Amino acid sequence: MADKHKDGDHHHSGDHGHDHAAAPMVDEISDFEILELAVRELAIEKGLFTAEDHRAFSEWNDARSPAAGSRMVARAWTDPAYKARVFDDPLNASKEVGVDWSEPSGFGTTSDYMHLTVLEDTPTLHHVIVCTLCSCYPRPILGHSPYWYRAPNYRRRIVRWPREVLAEFGLIVPPEVELRVEDSNAKSRFMVLPVRPEGTEGWTEDQLAEIVTRDTMIGIAMPKPGRTTDGPRPIHRASRPVHSGGRPTEAPK
Amino acid sequence: MSGESVGIQEQTEGRYVDLRRIDLLESIQDEDQTWAKLAPRWCVTNPEPPWKVCLDATCDCLSAGGALDNLERRHAEDELETVYSAIPNPERQLLTLAHIMVSRGLLTEEELARQISAVRARLEAV
Repeated sequence: MADKHKDGDHHHSGDHGHDHAAAPMVDEISDFEILELAVRELAIEKGLFTAEDHRAFSEWNDARSPAAGSRMVARAWTDPAYKARVFDDPLNASKEVGVDWSEPSGFGTTSDYMHLTVLEDTPTLHHVIVCTLCSCYPRPILGHSPYWYRAPNYRRRIVRWPREVLAEFGLIVPPEVELRVEDSNAKSRFMVLPVRPEGTEGWTEDQLAEIVTRDTMIGIAMPKPGRTTDGPRPIHRASRPVHSGGRPTEAPK
Repeated sequence: MSGESVGIQEQTEGRYVDLRRIDLLESIQDEDQTWAKLAPRWCVTNPEPPWKVCLDATCDCLSAGGALDNLERRHAEDELETVYSAIPNPERQLLTLAHIMVSRGLLTEEELARQISAVRARLEAV
């Protein structure tokens, strides 16, 4: 009979056979894994950056997730004083949920300028964010941007046909609700503070944070009870890709 | 061959990057080795490969050190989207980064080929 003991949070059986299955891993070396390592090592060898720089940025990147943003929204929903700070001083409000925008260098990263604006949705006003220039995104508080956010197709179309594009994501914004698309610029980052949904009365901050997903803080989805994850989003390839600073590729004659 | 693909292949000079195909990177486009194929094959549910964090860190380091500004890299990535359209992200992001670095002379194709061989030998050593 297995004699169970506990090492920290990790349970073992007495015969050293684990009583739970280890998470599966990819036991295969891909060309892409090799390429990533080769590029990185060459860059270090050439002095473009140091291994220490890379370690610091890797740790920073690894710690990014939308969880901090979710916490910020949930707390704003339950604490009016905190909500006021979210709008008045969002960087300090970020610190209260564990995010220091000055990390990892002391002045942020070169693509995460220390300027955040939180956009408040109301029952008659809905916001959605984009970066038409490239893919500016509030990484410190929301983690890494999804690929569709970076795709030229989204960046180009959301500013021209916002209601139609949101409908493609499954979000129908009623005509009586004003829609504002906020375009990030070189030094400004935005996130959406959505409307707290009905049916969440009496919920704790933890419960509320679970339904504040990444997509609800971008503005392409609404939080609602029971919806705790963002489903995969389709990436529509442009039939006529637009090149930066240039004209659209000529359509076939 | 369609008119559109002719138009794309004829375009070799982007504003931010040379769009000509690089033989070495053309040889690293096995879709079967992308995370989208690898992960389900090994029953892994993580949506991104472990090396994605390192790739993002490399991009940040290159920008912080002044070698390759993040905004310029993003513009170049947009221009290269059609060149690597057969490969999904994040593999495409990696290929475009390597392409941009070769195109801008931050490393040569020969150096990269040599390093790939060295890394492969190291990782596959038993």
